[in-house]
Amino acid sequence: MTLRASLRSATIAVCALWASGAAASDFLVDTAWLEANLNDPRTRVIEVSVNPGVFERGHIQGASNFVWHTNLVDPVRRDIASREALERRLREAGVDADSTVILYGDTNNWFAAWGAWIFDIYGVQNVKLLDGGRKKWEAEGRPLATRPATPKPGSIVLAEANTALRARLGDVVAAAEKRSDVALVDIRSADEYNGKVIAPAGVQELAIRAGHVPGAVNVPWGAAVAADGTFKPVEELRKIYAAQGIDGSKPVITYCRIGERSSHTWFALSKLLGYDVRNYDGSWTEYGNSVGVPVVNVAGTVWTGR
Amino acid sequence: MTDTTLSSAAPGASRPVAAILVAAGLLGLALLLPERDPLGRPLPLSLILGGAFGVLLQRSRFCFFCVSRDFLDQRDARGLLGIVAALAVGLLGYHALFGAWVPVPAPGRLPPDAHIGPVSWVLAVGAFAFGVGMAVAGSCISAHLYRLGEGAGASPFALVGAAAGFGLGFLTWNPLYLTAIQEAPVVWLPNVLGYAGSLAVQLGVLAALSVWLMRYPWPREAPASGAFEAVFRRRWPAHLGGVLIGALATVAYFRVGPLGVTAELGSLARTAADGAGLLPGRLEGLDGLAGCATAIKETLLSRNGVFVAGLVLGAFAAALAAGDFRPRAPRRAEILRALGGGVLMGWGAMVSLGCTVGVLLSGIMAGALSGWVFAAFCLAGLWLGWRVRQRLER
Repeated sequence: MTLRASLRSATIAVCALWASGAAASDFLVDTAWLEANLNDPRTRVIEVSVNPGVFERGHIQGASNFVWHTNLVDPVRRDIASREALERRLREAGVDADSTVILYGDTNNWFAAWGAWIFDIYGVQNVKLLDGGRKKWEAEGRPLATRPATPKPGSIVLAEANTALRARLGDVVAAAEKRSDVALVDIRSADEYNGKVIAPAGVQELAIRAGHVPGAVNVPWGAAVAADGTFKPVEELRKIYAAQGIDGSKPVITYCRIGERSSHTWFALSKLLGYDVRNYDGSWTEYGNSVGVPVVNVAGTVWTGR
Repeated sequence: MTDTTLSSAAPGASRPVAAILVAAGLLGLALLLPERDPLGRPLPLSLILGGAFGVLLQRSRFCFFCVSRDFLDQRDARGLLGIVAALAVGLLGYHALFGAWVPVPAPGRLPPDAHIGPVSWVLAVGAFAFGVGMAVAGSCISAHLYRLGEGAGASPFALVGAAAGFGLGFLTWNPLYLTAIQEAPVVWLPNVLGYAGSLAVQLGVLAALSVWLMRYPWPREAPASGAFEAVFRRRWPAHLGGVLIGALATVAYFRVGPLGVTAELGSLARTAADGAGLLPGRLEGLDGLAGCATAIKETLLSRNGVFVAGLVLGAFAAALAAGDFRPRAPRRAEILRALGGGVLMGWGAMVSLGCTVGVLLSGIMAGALSGWVFAAFCLAGLWLGWRVRQRLER
């Protein structure tokens, strides 16, 4: 094919996609694109939902179910899933080196974003989120299937864990003590950030101090989300974070309570805005329990053991 | 005890207009409900399934104690065969879903939110207490709910007693959990036998039970004068009710969750007791177990709450049409029995994580050993309660 011919066919393809209203970027696909590409053998759809029984009662056709508390973390020690375990699970889900992996889930893709972060750590290529997740797919009345797919086992080989995407306690303490030039984003609610509460309503308190890491700015994860559950446009996102001093001029660390909602902000900042971002999966349940680290507690809530 | 629900009792006057109004009210309510609960389950469907369950319970007199007593007193096995029919159809339906949801039932894998509970002596004791309680109170919790729709005056007392029993259950939960429940095995028969084996063994047990129950002759009844009388006035044959309940249970599990009637009652009791500062700060392990979850209420409308509301309204409509709605003030002895039996049932349902519907029906249908254990000990308790009452009332 000549260069001209390939340019022309590429233009036609782009126009066709545009005309159908379906769109896929490097890191997001919209619901229309996914519905149109479900039968592409290279598309591998993975659901990561927080609530049990959601997947079984109806999921996007062909999707595999990844259980966040067994498939994406180490079930014994507090850590992300091991390379071996994740590789095995991804192969079961039919993922090859050239697959396009589409992640989606309930509760605004929180754990789907956690999946995207872990897949990125192990070097999985072509990982995208379904913009709007289950919420938008269901709201648009798109079809769901209840029988699980049985994909042909894949052959993906995972890389060694890329530690550059993950912040550890020491990195966060260094940032808090101004020993490193890193911006911290606390994506929890304002009440958690200010120390009025230790954990959100209905969730057990798993930290014994209230407040936030010194120097962290508070941009709740929901600030990045439009009413229909999709990410806000990139320029809007850029402004929202810049207003809090997060403009990509220095490396960023995101954290929340257990590291999963902050994956959502990690995704927005690193994938959509292209900043240098690490997610701190230890988050407040590690930092707020650590002995001798600096804490800012605006509200002054004292943990009393109850 | 003079049951208004005995099949021998002559029906009162039919009130078709009132029945239609109640049924329309139920459907209207479904339109007003939010589309989904926080877990994404459809609330209007839960209400309507509850309504259908109420109609089925009322029409076929699906009352675990009443049908057991029919057998004990009169060797009338029809009602028990109805329960067996419900279990058989539900087993088939659940296993059809399981085959799709969990294609390989490897050890350690459990189907989502099926009522498969830990098997320990606490389950046995809880089920036994529940059985004694239903004999004392005149019927189990689900039957008291449908009899609310028939205007049974004692039923509210049984439900109040059950709520109090739940409170006692929460107070005794932590020591029971730590001594027995935490280490108790959660046995899902397909894990052990595979799907074919699980079905073969359980259907085999049900078949053997049916053959035994079929030995007893059926009482003769005059045929209904026509379809209207057969559908709206007469009791439905218990096996018909059973088959339909088995089908309903399958649909409910597929779309909303397993059948159960105590989650909302337990949640209300727990929320009230917790608000009054009566409960320990933490109920160990409770919120992680499968069964009729009794979480602290955070939203007004829960799927079990609307299901139970639908049940009462559905039974009310059916009872109005049939002429079974006969409000009657309870005597003092009945009130005391309902309260006392209710406390036993509430405590038993709390520590067993459900009742005759949530553990016995939904558990056995799911292939849970806990369902069978509950059934055996509940029947034993029921028999004891029945014996004692027979002695006392003689």
